[in-house]
Amino acid sequence: MALPPTIPTSFVPHSTATPQKFRSDFTGAFGFFAYAILGIVFLLALGVFFYGRILASNQSAKDAALAEQIKKIDQTTVENFIRLRDRLVSGEALLAKHVAFSEFFSSLEKILPSTVRFTTLHLSVDSTGVPEIEGSGIAKNFNALAAASTAFAEDGRIKDAIFSNIDIGKDNSVSFSLAATLDQKMIVFSP
Amino acid sequence: MNSRVLPSLAIILSVGIFFAYVKPTWSGPIKETKTAIAYDDQALAAANAYRAKQNALASERNAIDQDNLNRLSTFLPDSVDNVGLILDINALSARSGFSLTKIDVLKSDSNTSGNASNKTLGQAGTLPVSRANPIGSVDLSLSAVGTYTAFQAFLVGIEKSARLIDVRDIVIKGSGTGVYTYQMTLRLYWLR
Repeated sequence: MALPPTIPTSFVPHSTATPQKFRSDFTGAFGFFAYAILGIVFLLALGVFFYGRILASNQSAKDAALAEQIKKIDQTTVENFIRLRDRLVSGEALLAKHVAFSEFFSSLEKILPSTVRFTTLHLSVDSTGVPEIEGSGIAKNFNALAAASTAFAEDGRIKDAIFSNIDIGKDNSVSFSLAATLDQKMIVFSP
Repeated sequence: MNSRVLPSLAIILSVGIFFAYVKPTWSGPIKETKTAIAYDDQALAAANAYRAKQNALASERNAIDQDNLNRLSTFLPDSVDNVGLILDINALSARSGFSLTKIDVLKSDSNTSGNASNKTLGQAGTLPVSRANPIGSVDLSLSAVGTYTAFQAFLVGIEKSARLIDVRDIVIKGSGTGVYTYQMTLRLYWLR
């Protein structure tokens, strides 16, 4: 029998099926997500653990290999190589600067006129390696001394030759002092 | 109720495991181990390079005639040995007709003497290192008398000595008799 439309109903709408289904789906998805995360993190932890073990083992092997390599290095051999290297390099450097004054004396015999002789002669090498000569001598006469001066100038290897303390004796002989520098080539050693 | 609690606990556990173990382990011990392995790799590569270099150097050294190596050791000896050198100089002067009257040590640029080969060794467990200046030197003063010819022979002998000797200073004084007096300063070298 149909109710007349004027009579109020006691109808209470029951909840629809759609929100209930949503809550159920959300709970399931959340659970799935949570367990998936847990699984991934667990796998990650396992991976990190085993990776750490593998790395530690790898490091031990490399440490052992390195220790073995270090053990094979003979310090005496290394020292011998270093000393040989030092000897060769230093020897070459020293030999390049080796001084041979004998070449100077041979040249002086040729350059100096026979009428001029030294009574004292001082040859030295200064701290910068420049050879120097200082001396005193006697020339037969002033012309002989001038000839010596000219000879030094023409030769060019006895540089900055300064004659000083020139004193003419009664027999026309001339005593003098000489200061000069020498060309490096004049005292270079040649084997 | 349980359907929400357990997933929540799983999330919390995941976060806990990640931040309490995974992340610290990855950025701590594992990173350190990887760094150590990288250093080991570098050291092993250096060791291999060293062995290759050592073999190459040994081949080159073996290619040098042993007599030449001995001559090199005589040229620049391991010790100053000035007494032995003075004996040699005395023998040379006798052969040259040059008469030595006095020999003295003037100065040394090093306080070291004797065999100094061990001074290149490093600390225990470390390799030897090269020094800035491995050469020691000492000056000898000689006084002598002799003719000019004898002096020339002596000087050439000194200059061509198997052991490197540099003449640093010569003072010659004439006497009018053909016999001169000589003051010489010689510098001798050795490998420290």
